[in-house]
Amino acid sequence: MSTLIIGFLIGCAFGAILYLGGATSYRRILGTLRLKDMWIIKLMGTAIGVGTLGIYLLDLGGLANMSIKPAYIWGVALGGIIFGIGWAVSGFCPGTCVVGAAEGKKDAMMTVGGGLVGALLFSLAFPYIKESLIETANFGNITLASLLGVGGIYLAIGLSVALLGVVFFVLKDKYE
Amino acid sequence: MERDYLISWKAAGISLGLLLILATALVKPLGVSTQFVVSDAAVIHKVAPEFAEENAYLAKYGVKEDWGVGYGWLLVIGMFVGGGIASMLSRKQQPEQDKGSMPPMWKERFGDSMSKRYMAAFGGGVLLLFGARLAGGCTSGHMISGVPQLAVSSFIFAVTGFGAAILMAKFLYRSRPGV
Repeated sequence: MSTLIIGFLIGCAFGAILYLGGATSYRRILGTLRLKDMWIIKLMGTAIGVGTLGIYLLDLGGLANMSIKPAYIWGVALGGIIFGIGWAVSGFCPGTCVVGAAEGKKDAMMTVGGGLVGALLFSLAFPYIKESLIETANFGNITLASLLGVGGIYLAIGLSVALLGVVFFVLKDKYE
Repeated sequence: MERDYLISWKAAGISLGLLLILATALVKPLGVSTQFVVSDAAVIHKVAPEFAEENAYLAKYGVKEDWGVGYGWLLVIGMFVGGGIASMLSRKQQPEQDKGSMPPMWKERFGDSMSKRYMAAFGGGVLLLFGARLAGGCTSGHMISGVPQLAVSSFIFAVTGFGAAILMAKFLYRSRPGV
């Protein structure tokens, strides 16, 4: 099957899960960011817990097509901060605004439009910030496993157990 | 009390984790924010090809096979289609407070002006994608996909992104003395 069709089908499932799971809901997103209703952090923690273990099990069999993003400390940290402010202000992230727009939410459509402008502004700014924010303090495609010199699967088991434990036993009924 | 969700966070979280594993086995992990640049670049390469070629960032996107309208772009189109179909099928069951373009929590805090809500949604979108492109990923690429790969950059993004978002949300919804 062509990669394009696989991409489309995975996208369909991704969009449906985000919608059904309430990730396009302002109430859920802001509830989580205000630390009142931990729904979204529980959803993400579960996904990451399951995903981490699964990916490193695949990796044991040499079947994981990993795509590690480079760690340029200043650009990633500053980008995270700008992103976080936009997340709290809009109530969407780049994926959920697309799904929200499909639901017919007009505010989500505005976020998609703003996103296209933001991506363009970044392209225009790129030549000026490339050296200082992206090429400085760039440690390349490192993982916690390569950094610590520990087998990825051991860290993955640890992280999965910790995350699922916190989500299912500590946060489980809190704030619900 | 009426059920205030369609599927539980457990069901959604487990399915999303399994989908991530499937995507990583078949092609590569999930990601969205790159496709905003791909979309921009595809248009600019059409209307102003010289400008697109000159810009070091846009030149990478929208033309070459790997970076063009490919797997990642169709994934985002799929999100729109899949989310749209799911919402059509379950419109009746969707919790009342999650319907429409004016969230009740926003209305209670900022009033019922639609233009105010749209301006925040648009401005937030500008920041979201500027920040995501600077960091090299968003909630999907960095948090959902990057942390499970144990990428150091994704841990940095998860901490700064959530940190800033929580502080901003607390600031936006701070209790005002005398109100």
